[in-house]
Amino acid sequence: MTTKPTDPEQEKMMNENYLWDASGTPDPEIQRLESLLADFRGAERELVLPAEMPTAPRGFRGLLLRMPSLPRLAAAAILLALGVTLFFSLRPKHAPDAGPAWDVTNLQGAPQIGAKVIATDQTAAKLHVGQTITTNSDSRASLSQADLGEIRIEPNSRVRLLQTDPNRKRIQLDVGTIHAAIWAPPGTFVVDTPSAVAVDLGCAYTLQVAPDGSSTIRTTLGWVGFHLNGRDSFIPAGAMCATRPELGPGIPYFEDATPAFREAIARFDSSPRDSLARNAALTAILSEARTDDALSLWHLLSRTTGPERAQVYARFAAIVPPPAGVTRSGVLNLDQSMLDLWWNSLGLGEISVWRFWEQSASPQPSPNSQQLIQKKQSLLKPAP
Amino acid sequence: MAALSELRSPRSGSPAVSLPHETGGPDDALVRAAQRGDRAAFGLLYARYSRMVHGILLARVPFSDVDDLVQDVFLQALPRLSMLREVSRFPGWLASIARNRGTDFHRRAKPNEEFDEESASARSELVPPAANHSSHSSAEANAVLDAIRTLPDAYREPLILRLVEGMTGPEIAARTGLTHGSVRVNLHRGMLRLREILDRKASPPAGGAL
Repeated sequence: MTTKPTDPEQEKMMNENYLWDASGTPDPEIQRLESLLADFRGAERELVLPAEMPTAPRGFRGLLLRMPSLPRLAAAAILLALGVTLFFSLRPKHAPDAGPAWDVTNLQGAPQIGAKVIATDQTAAKLHVGQTITTNSDSRASLSQADLGEIRIEPNSRVRLLQTDPNRKRIQLDVGTIHAAIWAPPGTFVVDTPSAVAVDLGCAYTLQVAPDGSSTIRTTLGWVGFHLNGRDSFIPAGAMCATRPELGPGIPYFEDATPAFREAIARFDSSPRDSLARNAALTAILSEARTDDALSLWHLLSRTTGPERAQVYARFAAIVPPPAGVTRSGVLNLDQSMLDLWWNSLGLGEISVWRFWEQSASPQPSPNSQQLIQKKQSLLKPAP
Repeated sequence: MAALSELRSPRSGSPAVSLPHETGGPDDALVRAAQRGDRAAFGLLYARYSRMVHGILLARVPFSDVDDLVQDVFLQALPRLSMLREVSRFPGWLASIARNRGTDFHRRAKPNEEFDEESASARSELVPPAANHSSHSSAEANAVLDAIRTLPDAYREPLILRLVEGMTGPEIAARTGLTHGSVRVNLHRGMLRLREILDRKASPPAGGAL
């Protein structure tokens, strides 16, 4: 649709073809302005997407969105009325103050929030939702919030604050390294990386994202869940796990595993479509597995199929006998309740916490959370 | 319709505003694929629309913050994309998110100002002059950008998209969801106003340079 010129001003405009579509005789004044202002043009920066793409909502919300406008409006109005009523009747008298921004401290050099450098003696710097903090090769910073914990940002890192709801705190680590010591309830603190989502399950950990989007997590206390498109890995204290873009979380393993075992895990993770290499790696994993490596074998059950899974089951059962209620056929069919029972028997973490998170519930603090807080805070104390 | 509500009447001459395209857009298939969670499709939408978002933000916020905000706009759009029922409205919808993010930037930025010792003018000098530009031309570029920012929204946005981002009028119309007529008239009137401002600055009554 175009506008037909109706007055002298518009008539003149129609002659300014260069301004409209850069055709016709160039206008020297416009060319000069274009040249002057070119420095402000957007740089071609890569967009770092979260590991998991949101899709159209399902269930009741999706149904509501697919309804025609009028019924949708009516339904939305009813829901709004219900929501307002519930909010005012159920809200606590003193609502918790989630705070929209996190405190930022300059630990070294010149970390930046956006383009603003955080001064060394700066005590009131705040990171708001949507803002990014970056460190160069010579700078470090820390993020903290009283009801969450502390996150230290190492050099050459970029972190964006995505969400600060009372029940969900979310950041995105595009690249670099963070050390997190979290005392919020399990499932509250989530880190998006380009290749997986890391969910705190009550712990302290180090998360590293390489420029190619792959990441590595090392847990020092408690445990962390790594998640992507239905693929989960649980990383307890002393263990680590790698993720790769598109492939998601790999097989976690304890850092004190034999070099041959670790190398076989890396080969297994990196050759999902090369059945020969994968099978050779699996054979090495099973022959090298110690009792502690049950952690890796449990994850291998759901990453293998057919005869491979039966091999894993046999080795796993030899190391950690299946608890009551867990059968071979059930495990080979990936019965989730049986896999959960077997996981819990490893003593590495209560899997119901994870299932809770999956349902987007708000888990309660564990009874020993105060003890954990003290341990985590001591881990963050600078070395003398 | 936040996109249209921001197109206010300037002091002289009303900006031409008409409804966005009603027919199917060229990127409909990409938008639908992105709604289904296709990363590559969303990446292509980013490649096609990031200049538009950059320009809209540059019309409102300091240059040094624009790149971050561009990313933020797309990350805000991503989870909401599935709720966009008419995919042909994507350009106008994304432009609205960018405008709102630009407005929101100033609201959120206020608490930080107490520790930001650099003034807004100092921040605009963060723009590095290009290798082939002198510091004088860099200062002039800042002055021109400041002049564009004094124009009404309806004029400064298409002007920045044209002069800074290098988009043509038809591209601006396609990317913002506005009609060719609106963009064409606003580009023309905006250019006239900009020339007036620059002429005034170039020859102030008491003498002096830009």
